[in-house]
Amino acid sequence: MAKLLLYLTLATSLIPLFSVAFSPENPTDRRVLVLVDDFAIKSSHSLYFGSLTSRGFQLEFKLADDPNIGLQRYGQYLYDALVLFCPSVERFGGSIDVASIVDFVDSGHDLIVAADSNASDLIREVATECGVDFDEDPAAMVIDHINYAVSNFDGDHTLIASDDFIKADVILGSKKIEAPVLFQGIGHSLNPANSLVLKVLSASSSAYSANPKSKLSNPPSLTGSAISLVSVVQARNNARILITGSLSMFSNRHEKSGNEQFLTEISKWVFHERGHLKAVNVRHHKVGESDEPAIYRINDDLEYSVEIYEWSGTSWEPYVSDDVQVQFYMMSPYVLKTLSTDQKGHYSAEFKVPDVYGVFQFKVEYQRLGYTSLSLSKQIPVRPYRHNEYERFLPAAYPYYGSAFSMMAGFFIFTIVHLYSK
Amino acid sequence: MYQRERERERERDYREEMARSTGKDAQALFHSLRSAYAATPTTLKIIDLYMGFAVFTALIQVVYMAIVGSFPFNSFLSGVLSCVGTAILAVCLRIQVNKDNKEFKDLPPERAFADFVLCNLVLHLVIMNFLG
Repeated sequence: MAKLLLYLTLATSLIPLFSVAFSPENPTDRRVLVLVDDFAIKSSHSLYFGSLTSRGFQLEFKLADDPNIGLQRYGQYLYDALVLFCPSVERFGGSIDVASIVDFVDSGHDLIVAADSNASDLIREVATECGVDFDEDPAAMVIDHINYAVSNFDGDHTLIASDDFIKADVILGSKKIEAPVLFQGIGHSLNPANSLVLKVLSASSSAYSANPKSKLSNPPSLTGSAISLVSVVQARNNARILITGSLSMFSNRHEKSGNEQFLTEISKWVFHERGHLKAVNVRHHKVGESDEPAIYRINDDLEYSVEIYEWSGTSWEPYVSDDVQVQFYMMSPYVLKTLSTDQKGHYSAEFKVPDVYGVFQFKVEYQRLGYTSLSLSKQIPVRPYRHNEYERFLPAAYPYYGSAFSMMAGFFIFTIVHLYSK
Repeated sequence: MYQRERERERERDYREEMARSTGKDAQALFHSLRSAYAATPTTLKIIDLYMGFAVFTALIQVVYMAIVGSFPFNSFLSGVLSCVGTAILAVCLRIQVNKDNKEFKDLPPERAFADFVLCNLVLHLVIMNFLG
């Protein structure tokens, strides 16, 4: 009995070693919790879920008010990403609430939130925590009388088509999305002061957000391309959030549109299959030597190198770019140099230590649209000259040296002449 | 009217004569100095030559500093003071060695020369130290 218990404890303690999910070596999410309003979504959105499972994600479907759901147990997170396909949920079940979702994102995990025309206040609150504001009118939907999708059950032009994508290959893939994306739901706006939020799909300039069933009494507050249909947020801890106002965009209904390609590509980005960088092997040394000194002297020549890799979904590929810069920083950058690459992920730069002594840092701050932000910093002290490292004889003082020695020679010659002349 | 013209003429003549006489006086003074100097003994003339060399070197250094700036100021001071110290010691030697000098009548010239050499040694020691 005791032996059985021993083996059991041994076996369970080894389980964390076998999990492959979401480690720094393998940043793609693996375990995804999908919260739905009812399980009919599993079949009506089967194409989207199928594309996820075919890429290796383990989806777990739960009802949003299931009393057994929880994001973490005993301090460890059970899932790497959360998908909220429950626009009408009033209260989450179990231990999930807005605060726990915010903590989940704060710990670096990803989130997809899909609202719809019947979005509850809870979902709107989650979206506000993430940085976007849905239209306050609960009955409003995005209407576009010019770019609407021609289909059978039309009439109020709420099924709109939009192809105003963000221009970022890292988010939407390198292949151009030919067909427009069909969208039916609520729109949201972004605070222009928020620098972390990006509009991936905006409505065309003829769209507006209003209640389709009633007449407009005053002009709509959200109009034109200020309406964002799909937004992403990349937090400072590199957690990625996708927020959209249409759950039906993910469904199987829209066959010939660009929805499938658009959603596949953007899910790849949200789940860290693309655009995830890591910087390793930061090294610096004096030019000509190979080991890393503990202190530099002013006016030394040094070389700094770093290796940057990008996660391709399955492996780390070298990241090639020509705008990575290193700063030699003490309260302000004394040296700012662009690193040159050898196209295999190795970046290096050579520069001269400035004429100021103190404690400096090698700083690499790399923030590009759609990529994880790199923030490297390595401290290094810089000392002034030792007293015997100055020049021994100053060229500017050669006349004075010459005069002193000529005086000595003159004195010597004068004594000879004075003594031996009659 | 004629009186004033004559007065002015007399003033002009007077000034010309003064100028001429000052010029003649200066020339006469210069000549007398040169002939008096030619009468000094050779020893003293050698000391004067040595002193002139020292002062000339000092002037060159001052002009150089005025152009280039006083960056290694200690070197500048050392160079200038070596020239100035040499000149001063040469002057002292000249005073003590001059036979016409009543004050140092009883001082043997060898003693003066020995003092001169020792002081120069000290001077050059200090200069080498301060030169940097």
